[in-house]
Amino acid sequence: MQRQRSLLVLIIVLVIAAIAAIATISVPLGLDLRGGSQLTIQVKTTPEIKQITERELEAVKRVIEGRINGLGVSEPIIQTVGTDKILVQLPGVNDPQQAERVLGGTAQLEFRQQKPKTEAQLFALHATQIQLKAKQEQLRKAQDTAALAKTQEEIQKNNQAINELFESTNPPLTGKYLKDAYGEPEQANNWSVAISFNEKGGELFAQITKNLAGTGRSIGIFLDNALISSPTVGPQFATAGITGGQAVIQGRFTPQEANDLAVQLRGGALPVPVEIGEIRTVGATLGKDSIQSSIYAGIGGLALVLVFMVVYYRLPGVVADIALIIYALLTYATFALLGVTLTLPGIAGFILSIGMAVDANVLIFERTREELRSGKTLYRSVEAGFYRAWSSILDSHVTTLISCLALFWLGTGLVKGFALTLALGLGVNLFTAITCSRTLLLLTLGFPALRKPELFCPNLPISNSPKAEVAK
Amino acid sequence: MKFSVIKQRAVWWSLSGILIIIGIVSMAISWQTLGSPLRPSLDFVGGTRLQLERDCTQAQNCAQPIQLSDVRQVVDAQGLSTSSIQIVGQNQQAISIRTKALNGEQRAQLQTALSQKLGAFDPKKTQIDTVGPTLGRELFSKGLLALVVSFIGIVIYLSVRFQSDYAIIAILALFHDVLITTGIFSILGLLQGVEVDSLFVVAILTITGFSVTDTVVIYDRIREILNQHPNDPITQVVDDAVNQTLTRSLNTTFTVLLTLFALFIFGGETLRYFALALIIGFTMGAYSSIFVASPLLALWRQHSGKSKQLESTESNVSG
Repeated sequence: MQRQRSLLVLIIVLVIAAIAAIATISVPLGLDLRGGSQLTIQVKTTPEIKQITERELEAVKRVIEGRINGLGVSEPIIQTVGTDKILVQLPGVNDPQQAERVLGGTAQLEFRQQKPKTEAQLFALHATQIQLKAKQEQLRKAQDTAALAKTQEEIQKNNQAINELFESTNPPLTGKYLKDAYGEPEQANNWSVAISFNEKGGELFAQITKNLAGTGRSIGIFLDNALISSPTVGPQFATAGITGGQAVIQGRFTPQEANDLAVQLRGGALPVPVEIGEIRTVGATLGKDSIQSSIYAGIGGLALVLVFMVVYYRLPGVVADIALIIYALLTYATFALLGVTLTLPGIAGFILSIGMAVDANVLIFERTREELRSGKTLYRSVEAGFYRAWSSILDSHVTTLISCLALFWLGTGLVKGFALTLALGLGVNLFTAITCSRTLLLLTLGFPALRKPELFCPNLPISNSPKAEVAK
Repeated sequence: MKFSVIKQRAVWWSLSGILIIIGIVSMAISWQTLGSPLRPSLDFVGGTRLQLERDCTQAQNCAQPIQLSDVRQVVDAQGLSTSSIQIVGQNQQAISIRTKALNGEQRAQLQTALSQKLGAFDPKKTQIDTVGPTLGRELFSKGLLALVVSFIGIVIYLSVRFQSDYAIIAILALFHDVLITTGIFSILGLLQGVEVDSLFVVAILTITGFSVTDTVVIYDRIREILNQHPNDPITQVVDDAVNQTLTRSLNTTFTVLLTLFALFIFGGETLRYFALALIIGFTMGAYSSIFVASPLLALWRQHSGKSKQLESTESNVSG
């Protein structure tokens, strides 16, 4: 009994914790429920780059981040998927046309030289740019779409002005000449970015640095026509420029800043084309409708199962219902705690798991009834029901889990959501359907008023009495 | 009341056989007309699907239902005459168009042309899906691979937990369920234009797990009875096991079907056919574990058991 009591305390604590978790942490909704666009970008291989490595994918992702930030969308999510894909999620975007336009195509990296007598202008424009970017970041957090669009326009205008202060070399020193770029420490918190060119690039770079050395004018490094860095060249290189194709950009960078610049440079140097493989756009109203209908489906399904269990299994049915409600609470709390994004198939998985969750209880109660019919006492029948049904319950959970694993491993976004919610549900269910319902059922047996076999199994033969137990 | 699945097996097996044959015939016809056994959605072959709904807050915009011929005219004028068009929604105020994969500009052109002819659309009720052909093929092959991997995983698990003949027969029953479900969707594809998408693959995989579960519960019981009464004839053991687990099989399937019907009725457009596939598959799963897997196991054991008995008597005689 002591064990039952501590288990009961555990269950109560878990339920309270689950309710607290659900109340405080909101489960993020997928784009199919809140509305927005999702684009899957495929990075293509070329004859020069036959395989996309993780480092390259990361670089391409950085380029894409730069382009998406240029769109002025609030809360964009950009992540790499698998070996050659990048997933872009744009909440609230009803028409992905603009995103499609900026996302396709290869990154354009170019080293340009600043036109003479524009130093003061660049300085001013650069300061404005930093201000505007900070403002944009703020608006993005506040999700003020209208103001965001306006700021975006200003940034673009400012950017255009910056572009006009620079001119291309002849031939232009583009990303295809850049071999590599990486951040390296000079002192503890003072990093720089090392870049290296191929032979032809080295010559062009020597030329550009010779032109600019000691003048105070800078090299403009542009990625997709946005200035990402503008280093100046020291006077000591005025005679020959920086030769040998190796250079270091110093700027008292933090490690993060240095790496970020290096990744942008690498991304710009990659001649890999990207292609939009998939676009899924759902209007916000449609998403709301989906939430509405899945709430109906969930409540409807749950209510039907609850009623059926009580009508068919009586007292144990009530216990199974309580266990089922605990199941629903714990599973949803698990989603909240693990940060599972809820999608429409995910909800379907959750609703389906409610129906499957009672399977274990059905197995146990059927077994209990059999034992009762064979003349065992109530307490023993309940114990035997749990004990004997265990192997079937385990087998059935494992087989479904195998399918979930296969789905999760090989599936894409939507499919993964379904597999995850179903698998989490199965795990929680092992606890609620067995430990919870067992504890609760044994607890009810502690009340003499509830200790009646007919509350467990209707139409028991009259011969069934404790005597049968004695006769054994 | 007790019923024998072994005695009536001819009836059940011919029923299953007929269902499977009808499904295969439908898939063959589908192969001839559509080029694939089931009608594939753009998830697997690539393409663009546009769903647009008129903005009814604007005066007079929704006065008339949308005419299919009007939409067809606009779509044809864009050079997309192979597209399929449907008028949807309660008041016929929405359209669903499926075309080859369009890029942003082509799509915008089509949308503009459509709203010029039909009136303004509500951007918040727009749904756009585009899948490139390469990604479609990848989704398809990954889906198939997931199925194969899960089949193999289940065979291995069952072989460890039971003898291998149990595992093989459980998988046979599983094929039965999957074949009938895909067969019915093939028929729906031919008659109703129902397409199979990624969610259909998910449904099949879920059916896989569930169907085996049903079989496993009966097998567990067969094993238990065999341990208690090793000398009972296998046909009787199987009949007993089926009868003892029957209520459980029916009740479990029933509770799951309750939630699935809720999904089917309230779950909205996206989940409707997903729920339907599961309803068919789960029903078949319960059916096949009772009427296909159990008698099959009894017959197999009887056959292989007999030959063992014969061997032993022979050795007795010679000894």
